[in-house]
Amino acid sequence: MRSGSVFSTLKRDYQLWIMVLPAIAIIFIFSYIPMYGVQLAFRDYDFSKGLTGGEWQGLHYFKQFIDSYLFADLMRNTFFISFATIVIGFPAPIVLALILNQIRRKKAKQLMQTTVYLPHFISVIVLVGMLNVLLSPETGIVGHLMKSAGLGHINLLASTNTFIPTYVLSDIWQHCGWNSIIYLAALSTVDPQLYDSAKMDGASRWQTIRYIDFPALVPTIIILFILSMGNILSTGFEKIFLMQNALNLPVSEVIATYVYKIGIVSNQFSMASAIGLFNTVINFIFLFGMNAISRRVSNTSLF
Amino acid sequence: MVRHRLSSGEIVFRAVLIALCALIFLAVAYPLYFIVIASVSDSTMVSTGKVLLFPKGTSFFGYNEIFRDERIWTGYRNTMFYTIAGTLVNLLFTLPAAYVLSRKEFKARRFIMFAFVFTMFFNGGLIPTYLLMKDLHLTNTFWVFIIPFCVNVFYLIIARTFFESSLPPELYEAAAMDGCSHFVYFVKVALPLSKALISVVGLYYLVGHWNDFFTALIYIRDNELKPLQIILRDILLSNQVFAGGAGTGGAAGGYAQKYADQIKYGVIIVSTLPILVLYPFLQKYFEKGVMIGSVKG
Amino acid sequence: MRKKIYGLLSLILVVSAILAGCSGSNGGNENESVNGSSGNGGGDGEKVKLTAIITKHALTKPLGEMEWLQQVEDAAGVDIEWQEITADWGQKKGTMLASGDVPDLFVGPNVITDADFAQFQGLFQDLSELVEQAPNVQQMFSEKPETKAIATQRDGRIFGLPKYQAFWPDTVNRQYINQQWLDNLGLSTPTTWDELYDVLVAFKEQDANGNGDSSDEIPMDWPGGIGGYFNPAVLLGSMGITLASDVSGQGYFVEDGQVKNFLTDERYKEMVIFLNKLYKAGLINPEVFTHDYTKFQSVARGEGDTAKVGFTWGWVASDRFGEQLAPQYASLPPLKAPNYSGPLSWSYDYYSLNFGINHIVMSAKTKNKEAAMRFINELYSPKVGIQVLFGSIGPNIKDNGDGTYAVLPPQDAKMDPGTWKWTSTWADNGAFYISDSTQLTLGKDMQEVLTHSEPLKDALSQVNPETDVYPAMFIKYETADNNTMSLNNTNVMNLANASFAKWVTKGGVENEWDAYVNESKKAGLNQNLEIMQKYYDEYKSTN
Repeated sequence: MRSGSVFSTLKRDYQLWIMVLPAIAIIFIFSYIPMYGVQLAFRDYDFSKGLTGGEWQGLHYFKQFIDSYLFADLMRNTFFISFATIVIGFPAPIVLALILNQIRRKKAKQLMQTTVYLPHFISVIVLVGMLNVLLSPETGIVGHLMKSAGLGHINLLASTNTFIPTYVLSDIWQHCGWNSIIYLAALSTVDPQLYDSAKMDGASRWQTIRYIDFPALVPTIIILFILSMGNILSTGFEKIFLMQNALNLPVSEVIATYVYKIGIVSNQFSMASAIGLFNTVINFIFLFGMNAISRRVSNTSLF
Repeated sequence: MVRHRLSSGEIVFRAVLIALCALIFLAVAYPLYFIVIASVSDSTMVSTGKVLLFPKGTSFFGYNEIFRDERIWTGYRNTMFYTIAGTLVNLLFTLPAAYVLSRKEFKARRFIMFAFVFTMFFNGGLIPTYLLMKDLHLTNTFWVFIIPFCVNVFYLIIARTFFESSLPPELYEAAAMDGCSHFVYFVKVALPLSKALISVVGLYYLVGHWNDFFTALIYIRDNELKPLQIILRDILLSNQVFAGGAGTGGAAGGYAQKYADQIKYGVIIVSTLPILVLYPFLQKYFEKGVMIGSVKG
Repeated sequence: MRKKIYGLLSLILVVSAILAGCSGSNGGNENESVNGSSGNGGGDGEKVKLTAIITKHALTKPLGEMEWLQQVEDAAGVDIEWQEITADWGQKKGTMLASGDVPDLFVGPNVITDADFAQFQGLFQDLSELVEQAPNVQQMFSEKPETKAIATQRDGRIFGLPKYQAFWPDTVNRQYINQQWLDNLGLSTPTTWDELYDVLVAFKEQDANGNGDSSDEIPMDWPGGIGGYFNPAVLLGSMGITLASDVSGQGYFVEDGQVKNFLTDERYKEMVIFLNKLYKAGLINPEVFTHDYTKFQSVARGEGDTAKVGFTWGWVASDRFGEQLAPQYASLPPLKAPNYSGPLSWSYDYYSLNFGINHIVMSAKTKNKEAAMRFINELYSPKVGIQVLFGSIGPNIKDNGDGTYAVLPPQDAKMDPGTWKWTSTWADNGAFYISDSTQLTLGKDMQEVLTHSEPLKDALSQVNPETDVYPAMFIKYETADNNTMSLNNTNVMNLANASFAKWVTKGGVENEWDAYVNESKKAGLNQNLEIMQKYYDEYKSTN
């Protein structure tokens, strides 16, 4: 009887299976087959014996990381930077999409949209180079603006207090427009009749945003928020690395930059794998937790 | 449109909106403008803050240097091809899967989603992946840009969410009554209703291909197969090499130094212009009501 | 609309068909090239095909355009397919070595490290058994025994060959002061820290560059951080510490047979106090810890004839200040510190400037090792050596016909000699040997370097390389020690960089010093000193 029901659902859903199988095959081959490499975090790397032939070390490399001198600093810095990125960076594209959606004049809207999405294409090296020039307290335009605003000489890149805000704001500057595209697309699915009837009822534009636009974004917001919780220990590497200097180092040394620095002399594959896996597990726990909460509370979830 | 009777609330709203937009526009546009003027100005003046509103010490040395590199043209050609072919394959693999995973009656969906999301976090690392690519004879071929990473789980999730929230369940039920299969429903109903989604996911994939240098860095050796970004990255990074390198053997000095920044900023413009041209074409699909309108019309 | 969808689908089909077609032809090519490289010619006229990777400077022109290289390949009877890498080598190398997917030869400065040899056992060819086929390499080993010591691993095997370039000075750092500013203000050249302080104050308070603005002078500047090139750490020479740039970036130095680290040395504390005094007085560029290298260089180039920087360190004046301002600057001998009466010292970099480790490496999988060795042998011939470094005889080097040679100035008059060299040839990244007896007139840039090194001569001549310099290049660590040291150094430098910057800009070193020294120990500094001492003693006992 059981096999019969499996057979009947298979028969009913065979078209669905055909549509999803190519993706499953790709993910299986290119993501699951190489996964045996995770062992490296628990083994020595021994070239002559192959990737998985090195001596089993158990949790040795994890311990080495957790006991390392900078561990507490690294965790704290990494967590703070990504937490700030999520708290401030996550709502920004939503707000931007709602604002852009309110512009009625077509030309103006197009100009705004194209402009805000462009910074996404600036490479990190150039972005940081530009920050150095523009934020210079002596010669940069931001330096000039701050001086005329009476804030005096502040070197935003040189202080432990201003590093994280500078990092997060420049990130928002760069990616907010790009990230808002997904929300704009979601807004385009709102039925225009809803707006018409709201107008009839004399709703103000604040109210249309509040009761029509925002609810249309909620499913997307929830899903993206769950996913962003899965990045709680992943900061980018390159931008932080390039923005580091001796004065902000106490808050800017993160796990990713540390892994780079210890690996630079010799290929410490095992240690790097262990740190990577440690990161991943914590990220995954956060994602899993957030997903469970969301499934209970809003009935929306990833899986 | 109706122009009469602006309530005071509406006036305040418009004032706030205009002010906000102006502020955002300036904050974003100025640095972009800065890149343009810096790409033709004397680098020494740029980094000492002399270039604020207008280019100074104008020269096109940076662009000359960039375009003197013949590899740029092969790079452009390769990138175009990888981007177009790659994006088509991406959509071909992602959209049907996303549609299936959006169907509540598909029992395996939770498990499959979990298995997919799992790979966003856990992976075997670069070396086993490289070995796999080598065994499949994908290294140093253009296929490596197109097949291995053609399903991005993040975009798959976005597409699924979109299908879930914008296709009313009654629609399929009604279609199924008429004897419509999933294939037909997907191609004839779901896709046409999801132009905004296809544009967004397509754009995300497309830009992903356009900006991708890592794949080429690891898997490509042949100069003929290199995409634009890796060539620009070469040009860019090599103009940074002076940091520290200048000392040890009296490396390239003043001559190159003076223009290093021009190259840096010029590279951005050279690599971004084609994408800039593209966006307005996609933009119309994000207009309000484009989808419902198309169903009814 | 339906039409559009079908249109899209058919487009996809067409594209995939094209893709499938492409793959067929590509596979074919691959087979062909495999067959091609397996044929071995030897010396019978048919050239042996080899593959090689070179990590070159990005300015360097394509290898196909280098006349000398073509001649060398012809002479060796090989035809090399070069893969030219200009960026991200570190990242590429890891996967390449781990997958065993390697070319026959690698060329570049420390292109494969001793740590790689230890980690990837069996991947690289032991050259000690092949050296007898290469008389030029043997000649290098006998004329400059250091080169053999640098090349030899702990177990006696040789995986990478070094380079030797003979003409470079004893130090990376030259110390510059703006002589014209001194003259403008009627000041004499400083010889001590205190005099330097007074001079810098005058630079700051008065209009030293004479452009009417008395506040645009930056009295002192360096690239930021502690250790590394052109860094105030050279001031430790004022108290007798001899730096050597291959280890002093992390603070290590040798004194009286002891390996020490200046980061926890009282003399370093004294220097930090001095720098803080300068910073508080506004004598150091306020952006010293944040500017990038581009800005650091740009600022010193001033505006036209107006210089902006008074006192700094650099490779050579024309590189540091640009051709236009360079004549304003004078090179200074080391300064005297207060309360110190011993001999002054400076950074001693003879080894790291004239020798280079692992500049050419052969894969153990190379099919025709004899041919590869023939190529290496040709490369190490003395007449080829100067061409690897400065460019082909003809456009770049003049052959006077009597056994003497001269480096020619750039063809483009606007270009500086350094850029000319790096665009023309492998330059310092290459693998070569230039014997001390080579009679070569150097270019203007190198002559300037040597002239500007004159004031440092006294300080450098009292350095005894045998006892005062850590022989970093000659020491081969065990893998475990190497890993431990790199972990510890990351931790120590994190603490040291942050503390140094804080103390210079905000002060506080007096109160925080003891806690800092303790923290450094916890971060692994003492463990590293023990490791290095162990290897140093071992080295001393065998040499």
